[in-house]
Amino acid sequence: MVGVRETEIYRRDARREGSPLTAKQREELLRPYLPSPPPQANTVSRKQRGARAVSEFFRIQLYVLVYTLIHTFFGLYMRLRQWYHAVLYRIFAVLYYHHRTPQLIQKDVKGLSRLPEHLSVILEYNPEEKGGEGLEQLIEEIAEIAAWSACAGIPLLSVYEKTGILKSYIPTTHRAIAKRLQAYFGTRRPSLQLRAPHLPAFLNGDLVDESHSDSNQDGPGHLSVLLLSAEDGRSTMVDLTKTLTEMSQRSKLSPNDISVDLVDVEIRESTMAEPDLLILFGPDVELQGYPPWQIRLTEIFHVPDNTGVEYQIFLRALYRFGKAQMRFGR
Amino acid sequence: MSSMHLSQFRRWFLSSPPAEWIIQQLRELLIGALRQGPIPQHVAFVMDGNRRFARTRQIETVEGHNLGFEALARVLEVCYKSGVKVITIYAFSIENFKRSKYEVDALMEMAKVKLSQLAQHGELLDRYGARIRILGQRDLLKPDVLEAMDNAAKMTSGNRHAILNVCFPYTSRDEITTAIRETVIDYSKPLQAYQRPFSETHIRQNIRARHLHDQSSSSKDHHHHHTSEVAAGAAEAQTSDAEGSTSSSNTLNPDSAHEQGLRDETAYADPETITSETLDDHMFTAGNPPLDLLVRTSGVERLSDFMLWQCHENTHLAFLDCLWPEFDLWTFLPVLIEWQWKQKRLEQRKQIKVSHTPPAHQAVSSPPLKAR
Repeated sequence: MVGVRETEIYRRDARREGSPLTAKQREELLRPYLPSPPPQANTVSRKQRGARAVSEFFRIQLYVLVYTLIHTFFGLYMRLRQWYHAVLYRIFAVLYYHHRTPQLIQKDVKGLSRLPEHLSVILEYNPEEKGGEGLEQLIEEIAEIAAWSACAGIPLLSVYEKTGILKSYIPTTHRAIAKRLQAYFGTRRPSLQLRAPHLPAFLNGDLVDESHSDSNQDGPGHLSVLLLSAEDGRSTMVDLTKTLTEMSQRSKLSPNDISVDLVDVEIRESTMAEPDLLILFGPDVELQGYPPWQIRLTEIFHVPDNTGVEYQIFLRALYRFGKAQMRFGR
Repeated sequence: MSSMHLSQFRRWFLSSPPAEWIIQQLRELLIGALRQGPIPQHVAFVMDGNRRFARTRQIETVEGHNLGFEALARVLEVCYKSGVKVITIYAFSIENFKRSKYEVDALMEMAKVKLSQLAQHGELLDRYGARIRILGQRDLLKPDVLEAMDNAAKMTSGNRHAILNVCFPYTSRDEITTAIRETVIDYSKPLQAYQRPFSETHIRQNIRARHLHDQSSSSKDHHHHHTSEVAAGAAEAQTSDAEGSTSSSNTLNPDSAHEQGLRDETAYADPETITSETLDDHMFTAGNPPLDLLVRTSGVERLSDFMLWQCHENTHLAFLDCLWPEFDLWTFLPVLIEWQWKQKRLEQRKQIKVSHTPPAHQAVSSPPLKAR
């Protein structure tokens, strides 16, 4: 970093007050802060080199010491921070609990100026968890989030899970979500569609037709759930490129016709449009290979050190999206 | 009043030579210490908040951008000294052309002035060994700005130590689309067939000559007919030779000739060989290490059409609340340390996994839920 005096001179120059600095003057200004020129061989004597090596050695030792110190303290700080957040989130979880009552959730989101039309979440599948509980837990989490979204009035929920294991359990997942919706809403539950890109949609497995026509007028609404995996990310872009290449090779398309709009339409129709809000439930702020094209303007919500899916996180994300302040308690 | 005195005192104190020397030493020490751990190879910055900074301080927007440039210089220095190989900055979005003409012009002027000033210090730049590359839609720029950019890029093109990617009129969707288009163009070029040392016409003639020989020795009735055919064939062979030996000859086998023509037409690289690495190689950031860290200031938690493709599996996103002109070592340091901490934890987890690899049959055992 440059000293205060030099900064002053630089700013005066940038503002073009008085006569601007010449190249030479600028160099003079910065000379003390520049790294030393690359050492030329043979200009230093052996003795000098030896002394330099010794001082270099001690310098490195000092650096290692400071590095160890920094990380010891940082590890301590992180531990404290995790505890603090764990306690804080517990308090939030007690203050904001949905009691499986749609009315409560509706009341929670009533004051918000806007709600996402398309909500997306990233969930993690842990196959290491004993037995097959990893999968059961994943389905459980999706069912909960789907129920909250239906209560809040969000029509489209997309769930990203890297491995895509759920795509082979679509009927099971549909049943689990429908059951959860029933637990929240009773018999007049919203209609539910579950689908994944390039797979047939699974609509209302168990709901009878008359209740569906009922929902058209004043019913509890409709929820679509979309399952995504790493395949729908970069691979989809690669597939599109392959198709376009084939067309171009058969002279059915000129490469100049490939525009942002064309790609956008194709990607939107084959997977999905841009989500409005993306909630990360894990502790790390990483996208894990989430579809790149669609995440352009999506608001990314995360809270530090969180582990697990909780209603309070969901609600805080909606508040943040609606640019509203959260009051403590209801 | 007292706060003003205090800030004046602080200013005086910080600008006094001993204090400045101590701070300088402290910075060197911290950066040197950080170098002992893992360092992100590729860092991207979204320099957000210059305008809001100017608005809150009630200074001109352009002045805010100037201060933002100073922050950039500070950060580049830290990154360079700590050993980051590639830095990508979002300097100007294609969407930014929608801003007021005054602001756009001022930004363009700033880029031009800074880059041409840079070009005056070639020898100093070499000490940093950094190479400047401009990523983006060049045709949206005015020629004078373009010239300054090309100059700076050309001057530093020999440097190998580090790379500074300046995204100037850039959006990530435009980058991805360009990469797709370039890939399509690449794969639509007919493959250069390998030139074998044998000529098809020559072989054809050879076969015909042999045929002729056989026929003439076996029966004399058909002799006349065959000579005429050979004559026609020879004439045709001559023309096809002249054309480059690929044209069809219907005397020998019309069907195979037709097929041959088709095959020649489709001698392209197989589209199935396109992978995400192929697209990677056609991005503006081709050849750079994968993005390890993306920093966005001013509390906005969005990518805003920046590095969409590159923010892949393990890119750590850091959304900071401070405005870009306030960004410096002391705000960047916690981000770097946290990244190192995560990296070390990841390393540990990997080691545990390696030492406790479960038996194979357990790993592939199917989950209890069955798809129906």
